[in-house]
Amino acid sequence: MDFAWNDEQAAFRKEVLRFAKEELNDDIITRDKNEEFSRELWVKCAKFGIQGLPIPQEYGGGGADTLTTVGALEMLGYGCKDNGLIFSINAHMWSSEIPIWQFGTEEQKRKYLPGLVSGGLGLHAMTEPGSGSDAYSLKTRAERHGDCYVLNGSKTFSSNAPDADVTIVFANLDPSRGPNGVTAFLVDKGTPGFTVGKKLHKMGLRTSPMAEIYLQDCEIPVSHLLGKEFGGQAVFTSSMEWERICILASHLGAMQRIMETCTKYAKERKQFGEPIGKFPAINNKIAEMDIRLETGRLALYKAAWMKSQGRHPLREASIAKVYVSEACVQSCLDAIQIHGGYGYTTEYELERELRDAIAGTIYSGTSEIHRVIIANMQGL
Amino acid sequence: MIQTTEAKDQIRQYVLDEFAKTKGINQITDQEILTKNGIMDSMGIFRLVAFLEDTFKIRVGDEEITHDNLESVDAIERLVIAKSKK
Repeated sequence: MDFAWNDEQAAFRKEVLRFAKEELNDDIITRDKNEEFSRELWVKCAKFGIQGLPIPQEYGGGGADTLTTVGALEMLGYGCKDNGLIFSINAHMWSSEIPIWQFGTEEQKRKYLPGLVSGGLGLHAMTEPGSGSDAYSLKTRAERHGDCYVLNGSKTFSSNAPDADVTIVFANLDPSRGPNGVTAFLVDKGTPGFTVGKKLHKMGLRTSPMAEIYLQDCEIPVSHLLGKEFGGQAVFTSSMEWERICILASHLGAMQRIMETCTKYAKERKQFGEPIGKFPAINNKIAEMDIRLETGRLALYKAAWMKSQGRHPLREASIAKVYVSEACVQSCLDAIQIHGGYGYTTEYELERELRDAIAGTIYSGTSEIHRVIIANMQGL
Repeated sequence: MIQTTEAKDQIRQYVLDEFAKTKGINQITDQEILTKNGIMDSMGIFRLVAFLEDTFKIRVGDEEITHDNLESVDAIERLVIAKSKK
């Protein structure tokens, strides 16, 4: 086993960190308060090459392998405090770019990917008011009418929806087949019958837009089928595998940033005549932050490495997802505790980190669902 | 080269031991649709894929993890044989 980044990867990680620190942190407290998604920062990230990292160069991407991509996203999370922006980037990469790359026809890849890697915005619409963890019980229907499909239904918790250029909609083409009837479709912005509903307000990740979607007699050409008819499960599962491996890489960076903030504070802040870092009650918390960071890295890197090898790390991705998301929440709680009253204020930015971190235990499969997957892989 | 009969026997036995018997089903036919009678669910499919990759030293791509390719012992065997020829 080799845990070292090669020279090229190390140099790229350094460059991502510089970019993130210098370009992405302006006005984050205000933007979080006002729930503002910054398209300007989004485009900056695209121009830098973030959104296109795993996409082959022939479609305008960077052609990076999974581990290199994860390493870059870790540095993005280390340098950028706008966790909402990073979440939007992740939702875009794993739930729109990757499925189009993996399942799209050559024509679809050439039509969508160059735009999506260079500043366009995509998402997938799976979750519905009545189907969350039980994703395939969705009620949105698709019917084939000649050269078209007609979609009817509604979606919720659709990240990036208010600003998206293309949406991958999952709908059931034949309810008698149950989950095997689910099929994926590409719906362009402005398609008649496709409406973005009310914006959803959230506890955290407030700089990432989220909304409901309505499909009413939404007619799309057959050329907008993504993958095969009744192949929606393959599209969704593949997308989720990528997402669960990679989406929390930025959490590792955030955990390092938060730990360093706490270490600095523990050295400077004096109580009872000594830096508070001298007290075991404080320094043990920082030690625990470091243990969580290091073990989280190992779990996530292993899942990414397996994906790079062409394997299916369902179990490993679930372990990494549960562990890193919950570790990040605990590190945020400890960080607030170390900072005392200051940690509870908006100005110190730790309460925002905590609000953002909690979402990690919910999106892309709740911690509870991932524990079910892990147990299931043991044959239970 | 993977032998057809041997591969099918191994696949059938794995499906029986790991999925069917835990649901009280002690016999399956090679044509039986595994998802229809509840033997296999979407998570079970990934355990099956891991078994196929380890046992037959093949790699199953994301786009190949479809209902059609994995719906029955016969279909799984066809996938394994096709992959092993590549």
